[in-house]
Amino acid sequence: MNAALTIIQVLSLIAVAPLVSGIIRKIKNNIRMRKGAGIFQPYYDLAKLFCKEEVVSDRTSWIFRAAPSIALASSVCALLLVPVFAPQAAFSRMGDLLALIFILSLGRFFMALAGLDAGSAFGGMGSSREMFISAFAEPVALLSIFAASFNAGSTDPGAVSAVLGLRLSTMIAAIALIGVAIAETSRIPVDNRETHLELTMIHEAMVLEYSGRSLALVELASHIKQMVFFCLIVSVVIPQGDFALKAAAIIAAIGLIEVSVAKMRLFRAVDFLSLAFVLSAMAVIVSAAGF
Amino acid sequence: MLMNIFLFGILIMAFMMVAAKRVSALIDGFRVQSFFLFMLMFVLAYSADSTELYIVTALLFATKVILIPAMLRRVVKRIKVNEDLGLSVNPTVSIFAAIALAYLAYAFTGMIAGIPAFFVSLSITLIGIFIMIFRMKAIAQIVGLLVMESGVFLTAASISGGMPFIVEIAIFFDVFLAVIILGIFVYKINSLFTHIDIDKLTELKG
Amino acid sequence: MEYLSIGFSLLFDPLSLFFLAVIALVSVPSAVYSVGYLRGDCSRKKKIIAWALMAVFVLSMALVVTAGNAFLFLVAWELMSLLSYFLVVFDYKHERSVTAGTIYIVMTHIGTAFITAAFLIIYKYTGSFEFAAFKQACLVMPSNIKNIIFLFLLAGFGTKAGIVPLHIWLPYAHPQAPSHISSIMSGVMIKTAVYGLIRFVISILGVNAVWWGSLVLVLAVVSCLVGVIYAVMASDLKKLLAYSSVENIGIILLGVGASMVFTRMGKPELAVFSLCAGLFHLLSHAVFKGLLFLGAGAVYKATGTRNMEHLGGLIKTMPWTAATFLVGAMAISALPPLSGFVSEWLTLQAFFLGALNTAGSYKIFLSICAAMLALTGGLAASCFVKAFGITFLAAPRSARAAAAKEVSLSMKSALVFMSLLTAAIGLSASYILKILVTVSGCASSIDTAGMDFSLNNFTLAPAGSAAVSAPLIALAVVFVAGTAAALAYFGPLKKRASEGSTWGCGYYDLDARTEYTATAFSKPFRIAFSFFLLPYSKTEKIRESFYHVKSFKYEVFTTPVFRRYIYDPVLKLIIGTARTVRKIQPGSIHVYIAYIFITILALIIFVGRL
Repeated sequence: MNAALTIIQVLSLIAVAPLVSGIIRKIKNNIRMRKGAGIFQPYYDLAKLFCKEEVVSDRTSWIFRAAPSIALASSVCALLLVPVFAPQAAFSRMGDLLALIFILSLGRFFMALAGLDAGSAFGGMGSSREMFISAFAEPVALLSIFAASFNAGSTDPGAVSAVLGLRLSTMIAAIALIGVAIAETSRIPVDNRETHLELTMIHEAMVLEYSGRSLALVELASHIKQMVFFCLIVSVVIPQGDFALKAAAIIAAIGLIEVSVAKMRLFRAVDFLSLAFVLSAMAVIVSAAGF
Repeated sequence: MLMNIFLFGILIMAFMMVAAKRVSALIDGFRVQSFFLFMLMFVLAYSADSTELYIVTALLFATKVILIPAMLRRVVKRIKVNEDLGLSVNPTVSIFAAIALAYLAYAFTGMIAGIPAFFVSLSITLIGIFIMIFRMKAIAQIVGLLVMESGVFLTAASISGGMPFIVEIAIFFDVFLAVIILGIFVYKINSLFTHIDIDKLTELKG
Repeated sequence: MEYLSIGFSLLFDPLSLFFLAVIALVSVPSAVYSVGYLRGDCSRKKKIIAWALMAVFVLSMALVVTAGNAFLFLVAWELMSLLSYFLVVFDYKHERSVTAGTIYIVMTHIGTAFITAAFLIIYKYTGSFEFAAFKQACLVMPSNIKNIIFLFLLAGFGTKAGIVPLHIWLPYAHPQAPSHISSIMSGVMIKTAVYGLIRFVISILGVNAVWWGSLVLVLAVVSCLVGVIYAVMASDLKKLLAYSSVENIGIILLGVGASMVFTRMGKPELAVFSLCAGLFHLLSHAVFKGLLFLGAGAVYKATGTRNMEHLGGLIKTMPWTAATFLVGAMAISALPPLSGFVSEWLTLQAFFLGALNTAGSYKIFLSICAAMLALTGGLAASCFVKAFGITFLAAPRSARAAAAKEVSLSMKSALVFMSLLTAAIGLSASYILKILVTVSGCASSIDTAGMDFSLNNFTLAPAGSAAVSAPLIALAVVFVAGTAAALAYFGPLKKRASEGSTWGCGYYDLDARTEYTATAFSKPFRIAFSFFLLPYSKTEKIRESFYHVKSFKYEVFTTPVFRRYIYDPVLKLIIGTARTVRKIQPGSIHVYIAYIFITILALIIFVGRL
C-alpha cells in the first residue's frame, strides 16, 4: 500500500517537474517585461525532441548512448527517496538522505563521461566545470543534511520530514540548500541554461552533442533533479507549514535570484559555494548550540 | 735489583728512541731496548723457573733482538731511504713530551700498585704511540708499533706473570707477520710514490 | 639467545584473518595478471626472479599480519620492505625506477626505526616480545610513555601507509613498479600499516586519550584533501592512482580515528561501527585500487605510455579493459551500488551518529570532518571522470593509442574477476558487515555479541531508522534505466539514429587535437587550489615577425610543496651537518693515531682520577 502510494507520488512529481521549470521561466520573463513562452513549453519541447531524429557522433562509444538513461534513472531513484505526500516507509529501506547525494552523483558521473566521449572541446569543458562545481557543492549539501538530521536523530528522510517545530538551524540549512540547488540545477548565478556561448556554458556544454530522444531524456532528468532539490528543501528540511505556500515561495525565490544577479565567473562560483558552506556550517553550529 | 736496572735500561732506551734523528738510530735503539727486555725476562724466567717463560724469552730474543731489526735494516737498505726520520717536533721537545708521558704513567700506576715494571711498561706504550704520531716516515710507524707491543707484553708480564702461553706464542707470531707485511707495504709505497713520507698520503677520508 | 626468548609464534585472531583475506583477494588476481603482463617484456630468467620475489613478498605480508610477537613482526616488516624495494627497482635500467626505489627504501626505514623504537620502549616494561605480554605491560605503563609510544607508532606506520606529510615516496614508487606489483603494494602493503596501527594502538596499547583519535582524524582529513588534489593534477595515469591511494588511506583512517575517539568517549557501539566502516573501506579500496592499477598496467602494456595526454579512444579497441576500469572508477567515486559507495556511506553515517551523540565542539569537529570527506568524494569523482574519460573515451590522441589492442586472457580474467568482486562486495555489504563486526570486536576488545548493524541480508541500518540497501538501489536504477531506454530506443516507437561527426563549430576534419586534455580538465581545480599548489607556467614564443608567432610552447607546473618546504630543508640540514663533521677527517694517518692517543690519555687521566 505504501509502495503504491509512493510510486503514484513519484509519477506525479515526474509529471509536474517540467511544469516547475516552465513556471520559473515564466516568472523570469514577466519580471523582464517579456511575454516569453507559456508555462507548458517544456512539455512541448520534450515532445518535439522525442520526434526528432537523433544524430550520434562517430567518435562516441556506448557510454554516450547509455548515459541519458542512467542520468534519468539516478534522478528518478533520488526522487523515490524524498517524501512529499506519501509517508516514507516504503522506500526507506533503499536509502537515506546521504544515499540520495550519492545517487545523484551517479547520474552526474555518467553525464560528465558522455561530455568527454564526444571528443569536442565543448564537452570536455562542460564536464570539467560541472564536476568542479558539484565537488564544492557536496560538502554544503552534506552539512545541511546533517543539520536537519540532528533534529530528527537520523538521516532517514521520513524521520527528518516528521520533525515538528521550526528551528533556526534548519532555516539556515535551507538557505544553504537553496545555494546548492542553484549550483546543481545550473541556474544563474552559477550557470546559465539559456546560453550556448562556450565561455559561459557548464551544463549545456556537457550535453551539447545530444539530440533527439537522448536529449529529451537528459532534459527530463535535469527537470527531475531540480524537483528533487525543491522537494528536499520544502518537504524534508523544512517540513512544517503549508506545502503549496513553501513551493510557491521557493519557485518565486529562484526566479527572482536568476533575474537579479549576473552570472558569476566560473572561479567565483567557488566563492558562492564557500558562502553556502559557511551558512551550512553555521547551521550545524547553531544546531549544536541547541537551536 | 737486577730487574730494576733492566727496567731502567728499557725506559732510557725509549727516551733515546724518541730523541733519535736518524732511521738507523731508531732501529738500533729498539734493538738495545729489546735486549734489555730479554735480559729482564731471562731473570724472571730464572727466578720462576718455568719452562714456558724460558721459551718465551728465547722467542723474544730471536724475534725482537735479531730477526726484526735485521728485517727492518734490509727494508731500509732496499728502499734506499733517506736517513732523515722526518721529525715533526724536534728532539728536545720530544724528550720533554716523553718525560711528561712517563710522569702521567707514574701518576696513574702509582695509585694502582707499587710495581715499577707496570709504570715502565705503561710509559713505553705511550711513548710508542708518540713515536707513531710525530714521526713522518713509515719506518717509524713500524717501530712505534713494536715498542707499543713491547709495552703491552711487559704490562702482562709484570702484573700477571705473563699471559697464557698460547697467547704469547700467538702474539709473537702476530708481531712477526705484522712486521713482514708492513715491510712489504713500505716497499710498495716507496716504489709507487718514491717516498715513504706518511704525511703526504692523505686520501683516507670520507 | 636464551635470555631473549624470541619464539616463532603466529596469531590467528579475526583481525589477522581478515587481513589475510584481503591479501589473498588482491594478490591472487595480480599473480594471474602478471603472467600476461610480463610476457614478451623480459627474459625467462628475469620472469622467474620476478615471480619468486612476488611470492616471497606476499608471504612476508601474510607473516606481518599473523605474527604473534613483535620481533617476528619486525623481521617480516623489514622483509616486506626490502622485497618491495627490489620489485620497485625491477626495471633498473630506467633511472626513475632507481630514484623511486631509493626514496622508498630510505623513507620506509625511517618508519621502521620509529616502530622499532616504540617496540623497544614497550619491551623495557615487559621483557618479552609476545603480544600478550605487551598487552599486559601496556595496562600498567605511565600515561606520558604511552603518548610517546603512540606518536612513534603513528610516525612509523604512517610512513608506510602514506599519511601526509610522510607520503612522498608513494607517488614515486607505485608508478615505477610493474603494474601487478603496484596493485599489490597499493592494495595491500599500505594496508598492513593500517593493520599495525589497529593492532598496536587500538588493540595492544589501548587508546589512552581522546586527542589521539583527534590527531589521527586531522591527519586523515589532510591526507584525503592533499591526496585528491594532487591526484586531480596528475596526468600520468599511475601517479594519479598513487595519489588517490593517499586519499583513500585518509578515508580509512577517518574510520579508525573516529573509532579511537569513540572508544575513549565511552561509546562502544559507535566505536565498533566506525572501525567497521574503516575496515570496510580498507577491503573495498584494496579490491578496486588493485583493479585500477591492473587496468592501468593493461593500458601501459597495450600502448607503451602512461601519459594520459597521449591516450584516448581505447574503449573501442580495448573494451574489456575499459569496462573493468569503469567499474573501478565508479567504485572509487562512491557510486551506488558498488563497494566504494557502501564504505563511504558507512563512514559518513559513523560521523553523523558520532556527531549526533556528542555535544559541543566535537559535534562540530566531526561534522566538519564529514564535510571534508564529502568534498574529497566530489573531487575524487572528478579525478576519475578525468582518468577514465581522457584515457578511454573520444578519439586517440597519438598513434600509439590508435594502435592499441586488447590485452591477453590472463590479464583480462584478472580484471574481470576484480570488477565482479567489487560489485559483489557492494551488493553483499550486510554479510561483510556482520563479519567486520566480529573483527572490530576482536580488535578493540569490545563485546559485540549484541551488535547488529543490518536489518536483513540486504539492508544496512546502523542505528535508528536510516538505512541503505545497495541491491535495492541497483535494482531500482537498472529498472528505471531499462524502462527509459526501452521506451526511447527500442520497441515500436524506435527511431533510427544517424551518425555524424562531432560538432566543431562548422569546421570539417577535426582531429584529436581539438579534444580536451587532462591538464585542461584539471585547470579549474588548479586555479581553485592555487594557494596550495602554487602553479607556475613557462612559455616560449618563437616569432617570425611581430604579428606572426611561429611556435608557442606552454608548460604548466605545480610546485611540489612538500618536497620544497619540508623535505629539502631537512635534507640540506643533514648534508650540511655531515659536511661539517667531515672536517675531522683530514686524511693524515698521524691525526687518526693522535685521536686514539688522546682518547687513551683522557681515559688514563679520568679513570685515574676516580
